[in-house]
Amino acid sequence: MSAGAWLELITSGIITGGIYALVALGLNLQYGLMRILNIAHGEFMVLGAYLTWVAHTVWGISPIVMIPVSFAALALLGVAVHWLCFRRLTQTSPNVDVFEARSLMVAFGLMFLVQNFCSWVWGGELRGYDYMTSPVTIGQAPFAGNKLLVFGMALVISLGLMLWLRQTLMGKGVRALMQSGVGARLVGIDTKRLHPWMFGIGLGLSGVAGCLLSMAYTISPAMGEPYTVTALIVITLGGFGSMGGALAGGLLLGVIEAIGMHFTSPSLKALLSYAVFIGVLLLKPKGLFTRRTREA
Amino acid sequence: MFQWTSTQRRLLGRDFLILFGLAGWGLALPAYGSPFAMSLGLTCLMYVALSTSWAMFCGTSRYLSLATAAFFGIGAYAGALSVEQLPWWQAVSLGGLVAAAVAVVMGAMVLHLRGTYFAVLTFGMTELIRHAVTHWEKRVTGTVGRVLATAPEPLTVYLTVLLLAVLAVALAIVVRQTRFGLALVGIGADEQRAQTLGVSTRWVKTAGFALTAAVAGAVGAAMSVRWTYIDPPTVFNPFIGFQTVLIALIGGAFTLWGPLIAAIVFSVLAETLRLTMPEVYMMTLGLLLIVCVLYLPGGLASLRWQSFESWRTQAKAWWLERRDTWSGERRRREARAKRVQQAMELGA
Repeated sequence: MSAGAWLELITSGIITGGIYALVALGLNLQYGLMRILNIAHGEFMVLGAYLTWVAHTVWGISPIVMIPVSFAALALLGVAVHWLCFRRLTQTSPNVDVFEARSLMVAFGLMFLVQNFCSWVWGGELRGYDYMTSPVTIGQAPFAGNKLLVFGMALVISLGLMLWLRQTLMGKGVRALMQSGVGARLVGIDTKRLHPWMFGIGLGLSGVAGCLLSMAYTISPAMGEPYTVTALIVITLGGFGSMGGALAGGLLLGVIEAIGMHFTSPSLKALLSYAVFIGVLLLKPKGLFTRRTREA
Repeated sequence: MFQWTSTQRRLLGRDFLILFGLAGWGLALPAYGSPFAMSLGLTCLMYVALSTSWAMFCGTSRYLSLATAAFFGIGAYAGALSVEQLPWWQAVSLGGLVAAAVAVVMGAMVLHLRGTYFAVLTFGMTELIRHAVTHWEKRVTGTVGRVLATAPEPLTVYLTVLLLAVLAVALAIVVRQTRFGLALVGIGADEQRAQTLGVSTRWVKTAGFALTAAVAGAVGAAMSVRWTYIDPPTVFNPFIGFQTVLIALIGGAFTLWGPLIAAIVFSVLAETLRLTMPEVYMMTLGLLLIVCVLYLPGGLASLRWQSFESWRTQAKAWWLERRDTWSGERRRREARAKRVQQAMELGA
């Protein structure tokens, strides 16, 4: 293989990895902060994708405009879902273990609800539209313009989120809450106000991921589940609750998949990613990139 | 030593009596029911067996396993491959045995993890097994599915699944009354405490997991011949696993009869709604699960008159508070309190 072919392979892996990272960041925010393992995350991404598709094909709105719109719409939906479901769950669960199990079940219910809502409203067939399909040549390798845009936006948004968590007071509050819920409450961080918004931001990120995804790929109601599983794999790779880990894990998984698919058959792709997932979860349950830290 | 009290004996007798009555009813169904009623009954019995055996281990010990689809699929494949060589009952038990063996291996790997890790890992392993079987079929045997040429009579299949469902419920009844069942409940309540009190948790968990898997595998083997054509997406369908868990949770995973009641309700609901509007059925399922987890965490079987009354009191309290806020009464009261305080401060 020439260097150009390698470059093309790795770059296409990184582009897919960018979307993985974006989906995983939202899921990670929800799990790391609130112990809600939102299995329905991919389904909400599909919702964002359909929202963009409808806006673009019916009303002729540019998908770029839809990025903040779908973020806001899904974030509001997330706040509503948190208010309706998880607020009561937090109040009634005796301890974190029970809360985790119950919220997983609620998320399963949400998954059924949203997925079938999508196929009820929009039907089961594949949908898509053309947007910025002209190729752009970087080095010697040509890339579709929309995929580059998708990757760029995914990277910008992920880095923006991480910067926000690192630099602002609210972001510091969020990180404190991730490290220790009790400690954060002791120093005066209002979890009742922070939780719904963080759940909303998590869903908003999945909405953005869906919006970006619809620019470059065809969409269908059933496509959410593989992305949820991939996001789970990514946050396991990067460590539950670690944002930089999720970003690196997403990009890494994209590259692993691209290389694995090139050298073996595409039918092995799913087998490969599940094998990586189970291997990491069994051998290093705290994530690949975690340093040896003191126990909290 | 563990002694049975008279209440426990009475409860055991009552449970077996109910089971006997239900089994008689199931046995009589082929005599007067239409083919449609029989196929409905078959689905019903399948989910009774799956969710009762799921609740027996996963409900009591609170290890949320999503691997039912894996055991079902393994059993289905084992049954389908051996049904032409072996007698019928041996093929079914082979399905159960192979699934139990896989469960022992899987359990040795994952049963030391709890909670979400366990749920996610069992789901991942199910998918891994499904993709591995798909890959193996494509590469080694060069097919995507298998056609079963020799299948037993539908009546035989029905009676086998009925027998398996009765066995599953009987197993659940007996296990609840033994030390083994108590150990499972102890693990569910507090695993460390159970360990300290001398329960060999590792052994108990593996055995419970294998029992669940054996039932699921046998049901899979019995059901595979009904479809006459099997491929990995059908028999490893994650939906089988999800629906089993859903039924058990909605019915009440800690109770004996909850999963059975929910399985019957759901099968009837599924058959009536699925053909006309499948999406609405699935959405109802999701909504019911959410409502159940939020307002009835013990499941349908834990529903008593008191639950209705407590809901009424809660709704009333909620409405009174809303009315208090919306009518502006709360604002006025607070303003009044503030004025009184100010006046007192001025006076002092």
